Amino acid sequence: MKIELNNIGKKYEGRENFTIRNIDLEIDDKDFCVILGPSGCGKSTLLRMIAGLTSITEGDLYFGGKRMNSVEPKDRDIAMVFQSYALYPHMTVYENMAFSLKMRKERKSVIHERVLEAAELLKITDYLYSKPSEISGGQRQRVALGRAIVRKAGVFLMDEPLSNLDAKLREHMRVELVRLHQSLDTTSIYVTHDQTEAMTMATKIVLLDQGKVQQVGPPTLFYEKPANLFVAGFIGSPTMNIFNGEIKEGNFHSLEEDFVIEPKESDRELLKPFEGKKVAMGIRSERFIAGEAEKNAINVKVDVIEMLGKEQLLYCQFPNGKECVISEPGYFEYAVDEDHNFHLDLDGLHFFDAETTERIN
Amino acid sequence: MRKKKEKGLYLSDRPPLTPLKAVLLTISYILLFIYVFVILWPLAQIVFSSFNGSQDQYIRIGGTYEFSLKHFKYLFEETYFLNWVVNTIVIAVATALLTLLFVSFTGYAYSRYRFKGRKASLMAIMLIQTIPSFVGIVAYYTMHSIIAAVIPGFSRQMFLVLIYAGGGIASNTFILKGYIDSISTELDDAARIDGCGNLQVYRLIIMPIVRPMLAIIALWSFIGPFLDYMLPSILLSDPKQYTLATGLYTLITDVRNMHQPVFAAGGLLTALPIIILFIALQNQLVSGLASGAVKG
Repeated sequence: MKIELNNIGKKYEGRENFTIRNIDLEIDDKDFCVILGPSGCGKSTLLRMIAGLTSITEGDLYFGGKRMNSVEPKDRDIAMVFQSYALYPHMTVYENMAFSLKMRKERKSVIHERVLEAAELLKITDYLYSKPSEISGGQRQRVALGRAIVRKAGVFLMDEPLSNLDAKLREHMRVELVRLHQSLDTTSIYVTHDQTEAMTMATKIVLLDQGKVQQVGPPTLFYEKPANLFVAGFIGSPTMNIFNGEIKEGNFHSLEEDFVIEPKESDRELLKPFEGKKVAMGIRSERFIAGEAEKNAINVKVDVIEMLGKEQLLYCQFPNGKECVISEPGYFEYAVDEDHNFHLDLDGLHFFDAETTERIN
Repeated sequence: MRKKKEKGLYLSDRPPLTPLKAVLLTISYILLFIYVFVILWPLAQIVFSSFNGSQDQYIRIGGTYEFSLKHFKYLFEETYFLNWVVNTIVIAVATALLTLLFVSFTGYAYSRYRFKGRKASLMAIMLIQTIPSFVGIVAYYTMHSIIAAVIPGFSRQMFLVLIYAGGGIASNTFILKGYIDSISTELDDAARIDGCGNLQVYRLIIMPIVRPMLAIIALWSFIGPFLDYMLPSILLSDPKQYTLATGLYTLITDVRNMHQPVFAAGGLLTALPIIILFIALQNQLVSGLASGAVKG
């Protein structure tokens, strides 16, 4: 089902400002859309508005062309997985999963069939008659998913469903959720503050901050062309290195670290209007190339080394104390307190207007 | 064999006793025994006296003991004891049901809904509770005569139920609200998406979870009418309408009609309905607390 948000806004009673406002969004049928943002950015509010658990203050919400603003949650053809799983503690796993169908007065045989089908898909058939308090966190997570699956709803909503799991299980469930999404053929909307989850699962990411959409698009776009400084800092681990500087004669002069970058030709064109103005330059850790060069080079002291095996993260310091993170293959040899030369890959540079924080190139 | 082996080992989790600590421990045990004695001695006297046929008007400590049921016989044959029992149980059950019904609504509403005057009315309920119900006695009379004028069948006993339930609803609303507050609202959301309306959310999801608390509230409101002497003694005038507390009191107020052992026997029987209810609800009280942990 296609979901359209048209200039949606929410203001809570007793609050002075809108929590979230002017949200325009289109989520296509069978999209796996991840709403990403730091805590308090309004992402859960947005999801709850789509679910109908919170009223919509302004704007319109359309499901497949039908206006849904005042439709009850149960009539919206949605299923939702909650952060705390929200399993009914007094019912068995089976009853939990059957509850929504029972409320719709489905026939018993149909209910039984669908519950078993979902249970097999999620591999929870062994404890269908246990209470939620008797099973582990990972199993509860599956039951919560199962409860949503049996609905066979058009839209699948998930509110940080993996945040209560341990790291290993979370990694496993990520893959499983994507697989589930593909087999169910539904539109999924997934809320999280974890950019790894967003990057790995989404077909479309919506990044929110302070109640506004910062960028919408596929994960690769977020990594390769962040729309502004916030996106650049939020997406990617380790965080992108940002340097403040000025454009002089088409070159980027770092203000504090005292190095000069000659951007590539296409960037030069775009930077022309910023001659003499303040500009921020971003570069991801893997875009530093080890070794000396005549141009675009820096010399830094290695401060801390994080060895990850495949690669190593070098936390380096410029002479003035400013830090930057550089990642190099794990088999290169570095030691703490050594000085090293690196140069910058010109294809991996991101330029932002320092005033508006918007992307330039 | 095994016992011998363990004897030499120090198995307690606490540090070993020093002489000073041993003395202090002895003192606290002595105090506890005195406390137990103070509570159990009068109870034991009630049990002994109610079955002691050699006592007539007064309970005497010591003296001869002769087992007999004559005090119980007197209670059933010479007094309106059965009427009092029925009255009290009817009032208690009505109070408990009324309280449960209203507290369910108010507790749920105060916990889950945001409405104008929510805080103010909660405060008001709390403040009004500090005024003893006895103060309203004149108002009770007036209200009763007004209502009785409109509905002729409205008895003093029914009015008593309303007073008890009114008080119970106020205080128990707080307790239930606090209990429901501790349940995640995500459960409500999940139920709403699954197709529940407001009342269904309460009936199908919240109520089963708060059942232990409801059982406690039911128990308390049931016990209330058994314990209260003052309101029925003022509001009820016909001895046949008396509750147990007021009825039994007539056995020890007048020298000409003094039957202390019978009073003791009545007191003993009064405990029965409460004990029965407690046993009936015990399962509810415990099952809620230990659900999940017991079944394997």
